[in-house]
Amino acid sequence: MLELLQRLFGRDEADKSKNVAKERLRLVLVQDRCSISPHILEALKEDMIGVISKYLEIDEKGLEVNFNNEDNCLALVASIPIVRMKRTYNENK
Amino acid sequence: MGEVIVITSGKGGVGKTTTVANIGTGLAKEGYSVVLVDTDIGLRNLDVVLGLENRIVYDIVDVANGHCRLKQALIRDKRLESLYLLPAAQTKDKTAVTEEQMKELCQKLKEDFDYVIIDCPAGIEQGFKNAIAGADRAVVVTTPEVAAVRDADRVIGLLEAAGLNEPDLIINRLRPDMVKQGNMMDIDDIIDILAVDLLGVVPEDEMIVISTNKGEPAVLDSRSNAGEAYRNIAKRITGEDIPIMLLEANEGIMALFKRLIGRKK
Amino acid sequence: MKRDIDRIHMLMQLTPPSEILRHDKPPEIYPHLYNKGSQSKDFGKKDPQKADKASHINDDIGEVEIPSDMTILIQRTLRSGQSIRYPGHVVILGDVNPGAEVVAGGNILVFGTLRGIAHAGAHGNTKAIVAAFKLNPTQVRIAGYITRAPDNAEDDCVFQHPEVARVYDGKVVIEKLSMGGNKVSTQ
Repeated sequence: MLELLQRLFGRDEADKSKNVAKERLRLVLVQDRCSISPHILEALKEDMIGVISKYLEIDEKGLEVNFNNEDNCLALVASIPIVRMKRTYNENK
Repeated sequence: MGEVIVITSGKGGVGKTTTVANIGTGLAKEGYSVVLVDTDIGLRNLDVVLGLENRIVYDIVDVANGHCRLKQALIRDKRLESLYLLPAAQTKDKTAVTEEQMKELCQKLKEDFDYVIIDCPAGIEQGFKNAIAGADRAVVVTTPEVAAVRDADRVIGLLEAAGLNEPDLIINRLRPDMVKQGNMMDIDDIIDILAVDLLGVVPEDEMIVISTNKGEPAVLDSRSNAGEAYRNIAKRITGEDIPIMLLEANEGIMALFKRLIGRKK
Repeated sequence: MKRDIDRIHMLMQLTPPSEILRHDKPPEIYPHLYNKGSQSKDFGKKDPQKADKASHINDDIGEVEIPSDMTILIQRTLRSGQSIRYPGHVVILGDVNPGAEVVAGGNILVFGTLRGIAHAGAHGNTKAIVAAFKLNPTQVRIAGYITRAPDNAEDDCVFQHPEVARVYDGKVVIEKLSMGGNKVSTQ
């Protein structure tokens, strides 16, 4: 009966539980699908250290790389402690 | 040379074992020779669903370790001549069999049977890896719930990583009445998210409980809705082109009518 | 010694379509099933020839008397997936649930309900027995003989009195266990 009334007043579309389920599932899957294997994350770290070391002297042990998922949008967040700036640009290093 | 099909889901309790029993029985009823392999070592159930639990002498671990011949461990179904079961061991665990042994076993079974259907344990650990090791194709079972669909998505990814591309999907325990009310995800919602081919849709059916109690797959019961869905799935596996059952949401006159017709047969 | 004809009939009727359960031809017994925990030197060798030898019912090995002090007492219920293997006699104060397994060189006595698998005389002793307060097993094996519960068994066909399974005339028969009346073999 309540359902019939709801339908009559046309206010059930948004809070149908199937739509809630779909939306939640979509969010969860975005997260699941972008989760990266530790192996790849490690390789990414190595490469970043390699590139950044060309310009800056960094604390490699303090390096943190993570994925951040907020508001349905994925971001790579890196925290890289800098020991000191390099005065000269060294091509080989 | 037959085909090895693994039935998997990731999440437990979505109906893998019931699906295996029914598809296998359905295929055997169509005249194909079928062997069902239970790989859920330590938590076997397929034997009970088929009503063959008290005939087990040897199991898959005995075969894998060479303690008996493959033929000795195969149990013939009570009802269908061309249906066999290779039971799992109950007193061991998943590490009792290796992926290599499973590949070898599937290869051997393929030579003698048209279809080798593997019942995969829940989870994505060693038991899952063993179950998919020798498979040629995969079927993923899910239910219209967030948790089951999420796990199905994970499993599809793992299957693809293992080289089992384009797995088929079975949506189990769908309730047309709830879909109509908008309180359950419908077929399109799920296919939209998982992006795989649909092999079939099985409606929620209390006859499944009854048939499991009796140890007789529902596919043999002409009055069971789920049984009819499984019959169609079995036919689709063999390559027949049967449209997906469009579920009548008005579970009333139509269903009653159908059942009356079924009873007359 | 009055045998419970109905019950025997019921259990023997099950001679099944599946070849592995034929009674007239005892299935080959594979030594691995019975080795674990066994102290017998004749078993457990990897040598395939020896294993094959042991796999046939061999009177020399089979009828070896198991002393009654070689008995273990299990004071709990065995659940699905659990198994007991012992070369001597096994006494269980509890139930044996479906999916559980008891394998003994000698006799098996269950002071509770036996619903799982029991294999007595696993080394080939056909005089071994399986007894339980309530005998409702998935399978009973004695030496090389196997019997199983009938299909479509109703719960009420399980007798409420203690019963014993033994090999009689080359078949596994089940009869009422009467203390003192028919002697329980200690072998």
